[in-house]
Amino acid sequence: MLIRNLIESRYAEQTKFFEQSEGFQHLVSGVANIKFYDEFIANLCKTHLKSPQILAFLYAAAPPTVANTIQHNMLEELGFDAEGICHPDLLRKLASAVGLDNAKQAQIEASSQAELHKMCSEPMLYGTLKELALSVLLEVTCFEWMLSRLSGKMGIALQQYRKLEKESLEWFFHHSEVDIRHAEEGLDSVVNYVEYYGFEIDDLKTILDITFRENIFIKRYFGEIALAKETEMLT
Amino acid sequence: MKIIEATITPLKIPFTESFSHSTKSRTYSDSIVVKLKAADGTIGYGEAVARPYVTGETVESCLQFMASTIWEHIKHIDYPEPEPDISWLYKISETIPTAKSQGVIAFNAAKAGFELALLDCLLKSQNLSLSTILPPKRNTVIYSGAITSSSIEKAVKNAKSFKLFGLKHIKVKVTGEEDFSRLHAIRQAVGQETSLRIDGNGTYDFDSAVRVCEELTQLNIDSAEQLIERSTPQTWAKLREMAPIPQMVDESLVTIEDAKALIAAHACDFFNLRISKCGGIAQTIRIAQLAQTAGIKIQLGCQVGETAILSAAGRHLAAWLDDVTFVEGSYGDLLLCEDVSRESIRFGNGGKGGLLRKPGLGIEVKDEILEKYSNDTQHICSFW
Repeated sequence: MLIRNLIESRYAEQTKFFEQSEGFQHLVSGVANIKFYDEFIANLCKTHLKSPQILAFLYAAAPPTVANTIQHNMLEELGFDAEGICHPDLLRKLASAVGLDNAKQAQIEASSQAELHKMCSEPMLYGTLKELALSVLLEVTCFEWMLSRLSGKMGIALQQYRKLEKESLEWFFHHSEVDIRHAEEGLDSVVNYVEYYGFEIDDLKTILDITFRENIFIKRYFGEIALAKETEMLT
Repeated sequence: MKIIEATITPLKIPFTESFSHSTKSRTYSDSIVVKLKAADGTIGYGEAVARPYVTGETVESCLQFMASTIWEHIKHIDYPEPEPDISWLYKISETIPTAKSQGVIAFNAAKAGFELALLDCLLKSQNLSLSTILPPKRNTVIYSGAITSSSIEKAVKNAKSFKLFGLKHIKVKVTGEEDFSRLHAIRQAVGQETSLRIDGNGTYDFDSAVRVCEELTQLNIDSAEQLIERSTPQTWAKLREMAPIPQMVDESLVTIEDAKALIAAHACDFFNLRISKCGGIAQTIRIAQLAQTAGIKIQLGCQVGETAILSAAGRHLAAWLDDVTFVEGSYGDLLLCEDVSRESIRFGNGGKGGLLRKPGLGIEVKDEILEKYSNDTQHICSFW
């Protein structure tokens, strides 16, 4: 319970900071202009387009008690489960709805791929894959935790203020419903992972500090400069 | 080969978290990037970090000196093709003017920025790596971590991260407040096997410098860097005699003349050499050679907030020097929210950084990142 609470409190901190940020408030209050909404959508697509690949990596590192859940999430993302909804396709539908042409969409796909390239190429700070995978698992499950609470609000804001059809916003509404379950499963997965690999609590806390030293949502959805202004690195 | 255009871009790249020492707290990098274009179209990049409390240069005075003095001088020079010999590096460095002026010890950062850009450009034009001129003597460079002078709680968190990253050497910024508690907590967090050293950035007077060394010696500190302000070699020699921790000079060592005077007075145990502070790779090597002849140990330091350009230059130099005790830099996205190079040259686990083999300094700079973080006072100088 201690581990679960420790992790969930960090997810809650990240989510609260994001929800109170200027970017999120602009998004849901309707004061933002179209360019802001469209950049947000492009960043969101870039962030999540390669989720199946990330889940595949986590599946490889997962202990037996967690592997089935991650495998299920991965198949769900790919649309290979009973529902048959491919999540990257939902993002592509969203991108088309805001009028991003093929060239812009190809650019987003390339940026998303470049993130994977960077992740695989840069020198590893951790000594083993179990630590790297824990950090990635924390980030993925933190996104699920946040989306289960805020993606509905984001979807409604885009419907109201960006005037997008509800059908094109399926990614947001799907996540707000599905991710309530995913968020709980995600926390269970992390706890099981930590126990399986025998992490010391002190090392878990350090990996939490490193993973969440920046607000991952603001950075990915609104960019580095927005995050720097929010944290007063830039005035 | 002539250089036909220079673009000088002061940056404002946010940090992931603020970095403080006794005299300054920083939240962004204010590096200046020099981009040179040669007559054959080859592009090269260099970097300068202006620090008023080190060389006396400010960002503004450094920009001014670069545009009005260095560019006006080098644009007339027909540069020789690279030769696989260090004398070529010295020749290039000697073409770049530096100067003293009121409040400025030397425009060394400005000189370093142009030197690196020239080396990168001229070597790339012949598809040669800087390692051709400075062949590496080791396969891996081992970097230290640096702990900012924030709260003790934050310092301990940083220390634990560095331990998890397998770093063997850590430098701690000290301020004269809670020094023992800070170092004691860090020592507890990292254990006895990690090398710890301290850096005061000149915040202590002589007596308190001696006192803090006496207090901290029981924590097994490997060196004390620039505890006192820029002082005479005789003062340093006295401090070295009285303090029980090996003394390292940093801000007191800017020019070759400083180095000679410090050596003559047997003033210290370590030199902290930094490429931007010392006026480029060639001048840093000259000081390093003086140090090694005199039996003074070397730390190859860095500038807080430096980008991949200075880090790459540091990597080449650290791999080439005969003997280097500590190396700093290559923090990349551990400190910067985004670095300027396509490939990450941040160190990895154990503080290890690999050799750079690509042409020039060995990195590809992304112009879109320079544009994104330009502080809007870019200077473009053209031969025509």
